[in-house]
Amino acid sequence: MITQAENPILEIHDLTVSYDQNPVLWNVDLSLPAGNLVGILGPNGAGKSTLIKAIMGLIPPTSGFVKIFDKPLNDVRARISYVPQRESVDWNFPASVLDVVMMGTYGKLGLFRRPGKKEKELAMQSLEQVGMAGFSKRQISELSGGQQQRVFIARALAQEADLYLMDEPFAGVDMATETAIFQLLRDMTTSGKTVIVVHHDIHSAMNFFDWLIMLNLHLVASGPKESVMNEEMLRKTYGGKLNLLTRVTDLIRQKDFNPLKG
Amino acid sequence: MEDFVYFFTFQDPSIAWVVLGITLLGVGSAYVGTFSFLDKKALLGDAISHAVLPGICMGFVLAGEKNPVYIVTGAFLSGALATFMSSWLKRNTKLSEDTIIATILSVFFGFGIVLLTALQKSGNPEVAGLNSFIFGNAIGISESDLLLYGGLAMVIILVLTLALKEFRLMVFDPEFGQAIGFPMKAITFLFNVLMILAVVIGIQAIGVVLMAALLITPGAAARFWTDRLNPLLILAAMFSVVSGILGTYVSFVIPQMPTGPWVVVFLSAFALISFLVSPKSGIVFRFFARKRYLEKTHREHLLKALYKAKESKKPGLTIEEIYGLYPFHKRETLQSISSLQKLGFTTKDQPIIKLTSKGISEAMRVVRLHRLWELYLNESMNIAPDHVHDSAEQLEHLITPELEALLEQRLNYPSVDPHQETIPRENNELR
Repeated sequence: MITQAENPILEIHDLTVSYDQNPVLWNVDLSLPAGNLVGILGPNGAGKSTLIKAIMGLIPPTSGFVKIFDKPLNDVRARISYVPQRESVDWNFPASVLDVVMMGTYGKLGLFRRPGKKEKELAMQSLEQVGMAGFSKRQISELSGGQQQRVFIARALAQEADLYLMDEPFAGVDMATETAIFQLLRDMTTSGKTVIVVHHDIHSAMNFFDWLIMLNLHLVASGPKESVMNEEMLRKTYGGKLNLLTRVTDLIRQKDFNPLKG
Repeated sequence: MEDFVYFFTFQDPSIAWVVLGITLLGVGSAYVGTFSFLDKKALLGDAISHAVLPGICMGFVLAGEKNPVYIVTGAFLSGALATFMSSWLKRNTKLSEDTIIATILSVFFGFGIVLLTALQKSGNPEVAGLNSFIFGNAIGISESDLLLYGGLAMVIILVLTLALKEFRLMVFDPEFGQAIGFPMKAITFLFNVLMILAVVIGIQAIGVVLMAALLITPGAAARFWTDRLNPLLILAAMFSVVSGILGTYVSFVIPQMPTGPWVVVFLSAFALISFLVSPKSGIVFRFFARKRYLEKTHREHLLKALYKAKESKKPGLTIEEIYGLYPFHKRETLQSISSLQKLGFTTKDQPIIKLTSKGISEAMRVVRLHRLWELYLNESMNIAPDHVHDSAEQLEHLITPELEALLEQRLNYPSVDPHQETIPRENNELR
């Protein structure tokens, strides 16, 4: 059940990705329309984070390619924002909330130029949008999980991008924060931005997203929520029956090299 | 004393030069080292500093004398080879990082010692100077050496200042850096070059064995005092420079005394002091904070006892009765009694100690929190009334006025606790 979008903002062509010996995504082929809130769903180890890392060029694909705004990634980086998983950084790093949000302005500044007054204002504005303006001077290790997540989203807002890729922004946040973040993402898509979110909870996914991508090592479904959210798709994505792909992965792991890599 | 004045007035130009060199070296290595400490790469610095020894010997062999350019180049190349090998091994083998670093360190250093011993047997009179590269000798540095080492240190400081934002990104969130299109591999490479340079400039003054301490200790000591990157770098540089100068002074006063170990002694002193007395994270600070808290707890328990006496219609308690409540804690009890009196919470009416009006308010506050918490645990957390006392005994000292207001609201301003005891408020009849 794969619906291709017309005038897609993002196209993924036959993408296969491996970590060293482990193929984690097989032949993903999909396209997404602009202005949607898109959810990536799938069980643990389905390759959800890998998909957005491959889109951002953080992991080189074994085969296939990605086009964003009809261009290769490197031509349009300034229009894309990536929000990594909260646990991927060391929150004991000596920095204030404002320091971290300012990093969102680094991309447009380029190398060796220092952020100035304009960048600081932009960062403060972004903090205001996520309701954290009062925390700008706080040491980042003193924040709660939900607050850290909001700081990361503020950093993304400071990038002033058109396409946002977020890795589990709802992980480990309380209900109030979840609603606040969702409302913020909703506002962003209403103003024409596209937001792609890796998500783990099927129940809230039904309410949150316009478009859903379901993954389980391969692409199970991609399309408007109404057309893909059904029992058959959910069973294919989360169903207990062991996927033969995992058997092939085991076979490849036993080899001394990765035969999928050229 | 004469030596001290002579050294620190810098009337001898050669001392002024050495101090300037040590200052630049200290700032440069503290900057680089703080970043590698934050990046959790402290051990790599140690491996590199040991690994430059074979390069120093090779440089000496090729030049046939102690030529600083040959030696610095040799040291740099051998440090670079060690760094490259450790990252190559990490990528292409399943060995863990600590195994790789330990191996590289010992193999390179061992080879260096073999070369050094062979050179010493060769009978070249210049070889004697090579020994100072093991533990360092700041006083023995010539002016031309200083120009080279100082110049390289300036380069390090300049590059780090210029690319502060890039290195901050490299340590905190390299994936994000890559996502916004920064050449993170090149930035990491540049940092590794700076790291090797920082080791190389210290080999003459500090020596290869202890150079890692000058890289890592300043940042680690400074981390106790601040939560921001810029003050951290400045403080680390200060620790490093002061220790560097003091170490140089010792090796100036005592001939034949190597500089490196003394610099490390002073650095360790800074680290130890930071560990002990820095606010928030220092252990002395934490010890006193805990002691103050325990004293407050004891005082509040005593107030409660006095209040309960009042509830059972007694005017107060005698000192003996109070001692009886806390057997084996006579000293603490005495202290609590006297500080309660100083705070104006109690008065002494010959043998009896009783609450003042101010004391009643304070005692009621503590009793109220205790009973509110018991009720909350019982009503909202489904905990049996006979299991709620111990938790309330701890929480009564911690609950803030905001939390108290919330408790009152949730429990709808109750009048009795699960043991049917009155929850006291200001309009209480015991007032």
